[in-house]
Amino acid sequence: MFPVLGGGSVQAARLLALRCAVLVEAVRGRKSRTDPVAKSKEGRIKVPPPVDPAEMVVLKDRYSEYQLLTRALRLEFKEEVLRKKYEEETGSLAEERARQEAEEHRALMAWNNQENLRLLKLRIQRIRAEEEEAERRQQEAAVKREREQQEFIREREREILQLQEDAKNFITMENLDQRIQDALDNPKNYNFAVDREGRVVKQTTLR
Amino acid sequence: MPMKGRFPIRRTLEYLQKGDIIYKNKVKIMTVNYNTHGELSEGARKFVFFNIPQIQYKNPWVQIMMFKNMTPSPFLKFYLDHGEQVLVDVEGKDYKEISQHVKKILGKSEEVLQAEAQAKMQASNPANFGPKKYFLRECICEVEGQVPCPGTTPLPKEMTGKYRAKMAASQE
Repeated sequence: MFPVLGGGSVQAARLLALRCAVLVEAVRGRKSRTDPVAKSKEGRIKVPPPVDPAEMVVLKDRYSEYQLLTRALRLEFKEEVLRKKYEEETGSLAEERARQEAEEHRALMAWNNQENLRLLKLRIQRIRAEEEEAERRQQEAAVKREREQQEFIREREREILQLQEDAKNFITMENLDQRIQDALDNPKNYNFAVDREGRVVKQTTLR
Repeated sequence: MPMKGRFPIRRTLEYLQKGDIIYKNKVKIMTVNYNTHGELSEGARKFVFFNIPQIQYKNPWVQIMMFKNMTPSPFLKFYLDHGEQVLVDVEGKDYKEISQHVKKILGKSEEVLQAEAQAKMQASNPANFGPKKYFLRECICEVEGQVPCPGTTPLPKEMTGKYRAKMAASQE
């Protein structure tokens, strides 16, 4: 009997399950379509749990009321949340707050601008002072350069005059003989003596 | 492992959390133009060195960019939404002054911060149970000193439902 009912068990089950109940199809769940039915469950016909009609009527009534109430409550709460959110974003209070925010922002920006202007003034002053400083330094440098040039020229002139002075004492071909004679007549002694205290004695020969 | 860098304290969490400039939601981009040399940029340099990490930590969604040696004088520029731009001149200022100034014009004030903290506390009630993402605990079995989870250790027989049902049935 079991192997016979293997293939067409559903139709046979439909005929047998005359319990005035709706036949529930088998849901494979863990098993796939190709897996065989378990040995212990071969002849099993799944039917939903029995229902008492009188009880059902009462229950339906009560359930519908209950569901009405719970749905109403749920929607009430949802609406409250949505309303709060709406109030938060676009309510009258929110507008007030937005306006105040804008006001404060404007005030702060104005204050910031003031600060910027103050710093700008300081900066202009500083730049002007620096420019003046640079100007002054340039002028000083020019003056210094001028002075140095003059100094240079004077130095050179002095040297030339000095040289001219020295030229008078030069030994030339004319006074060569005279100078030789003078040198031989006045011998110069360059020796000197120094003692430990640092006293210099220029005269060394006993004369 | 020793700390790395010149002032490694700037990298500690404690230092970062001490930052007190939290920008208003309007501020989107912050730009700092400063010079690497020069006495006038000193305040801006210190501001960038010490305060920018704190600001970025507290405002992770604000883009902060630094530009060096592009202009002769240092300044900060904020780009708000709706296209408004705020220029803050910082030439010659001290880094503390700069941070105070910025906090005053574009930072959230103390009351606003406190109100936000309050709202957050109210929204997250520690007495609620639920997914770890939103609540502290999922089940009372997670709390110290409570009955441990029956999933890990089986309950004593007297506490199980079926024993109690059996007792109640046998008594009737």
